[in-house]
Amino acid sequence: MNKISPVTGHYVTIEVDGLEYKVFYLENGSGQPLVCQHTAGAHNHQWRGLLEDEEITANYRVIAYDLPRHGKSDPPENTEWWKEEYKLSADHFVNFIVALCDALDLEDPLFMGSSFGGNVALQLALRHPDRFGGVLAVEGADYSPGFYLDWWQHPHANAAQICASGTWDLMAPQSPEADRWKTWFYYSQGSEAFKGDLHFYSVDHDLRGRLHEIDGDKCPVVMLTGEYDYLTTPEDSARTAGEIKNGSFINMPQIGHFPMSENHDRFRVHLLEALDALQRVKANA
Amino acid sequence: MTTAPTATRAPAEWAEAFTEANNTDPEIQAHGKYLTTTWLLDAGELSYAIKLESGKVTDVTVDPGPLDVPYQFAIRAGADTWREFGQSVPKPMFHGIWAASFQRDMRLEGDVLVLMQNLRCITRQIELLRVIGSPV
Repeated sequence: MNKISPVTGHYVTIEVDGLEYKVFYLENGSGQPLVCQHTAGAHNHQWRGLLEDEEITANYRVIAYDLPRHGKSDPPENTEWWKEEYKLSADHFVNFIVALCDALDLEDPLFMGSSFGGNVALQLALRHPDRFGGVLAVEGADYSPGFYLDWWQHPHANAAQICASGTWDLMAPQSPEADRWKTWFYYSQGSEAFKGDLHFYSVDHDLRGRLHEIDGDKCPVVMLTGEYDYLTTPEDSARTAGEIKNGSFINMPQIGHFPMSENHDRFRVHLLEALDALQRVKANA
Repeated sequence: MTTAPTATRAPAEWAEAFTEANNTDPEIQAHGKYLTTTWLLDAGELSYAIKLESGKVTDVTVDPGPLDVPYQFAIRAGADTWREFGQSVPKPMFHGIWAASFQRDMRLEGDVLVLMQNLRCITRQIELLRVIGSPV
């Protein structure tokens, strides 16, 4: 069967905090930009279902990029990155996303990220409410300690399998087996970046006591979390959303920590609800 | 989707069912070439020392005495937690050893490096409980 997907790939070169990155992104659709961040240690194929979702791409320009050091986005072009330990910071992560949106001339984009992408969504709403039309924080929370572990890069064990099987339990048993194994496969590819990503996720990201500073009128926040997520539980996300002005929370039954990748068909129902909620808050603000 | 609890087997029968399930599991047999260890499944009121050689279960000792069977690592949890693992579709937080360790009473003890070195196959072994039922 020959079938060419409407999804296209591009590279864009940007500068962030003095670092030059050649960033790969996939896109499809037209309308308000919906910029999508994959989870730690993964890449943009996690959004494969969304990128080909005809209903959503009819109304949104879905852009799913690979963060540098992931997928087809290389580490910085202009430094000897191999001489340093990679430890992602909140500052750099935020600056990267804003620089990417600027480079693509995106007007009033929505941002959606999962896991560490959900956490950085909150950082964006806090720091750049004027730059984004709103954020969707999937599997995010104000604080998510406990996953910055040496096991992800232990020299006596197979890092690829530890990253892949160590995140397996984050998925719901109800999610289609083939989609769970694709997610496992992505994780087998990202062990070098995974731990450094988790420096942001579990160490540098900490918005406890600061959620009230988010301007939920300018940049509405909708949070979505799956009931099988043991790292950021629905209770964690509900608590976080409850402390944000206009913040709302959607609980997702029978889904885990990688909703878009483990079960897009189920996730999209909640995503459509979240997009409606976000646009309603925006219209009333 | 909820499921009725799986009827608990007698320990010796469970050991036999686990051995059969492991030794005929396509994934473990495809990827378990280096899975050689003995680990302890500890359910409090009952425990099993599971001996593996090249991906095959070659011996299961029910309730080993204090110095009977050396093992490299142990996965310990209360009987109620293991019973949840034995559901065909386990509830959230009872769906894997990471989930239950982070959020419930499961503990990963001993030489955890050996567990990590064999994480793929051990993860699959634990999921076999969804088919054969709770060990306790």
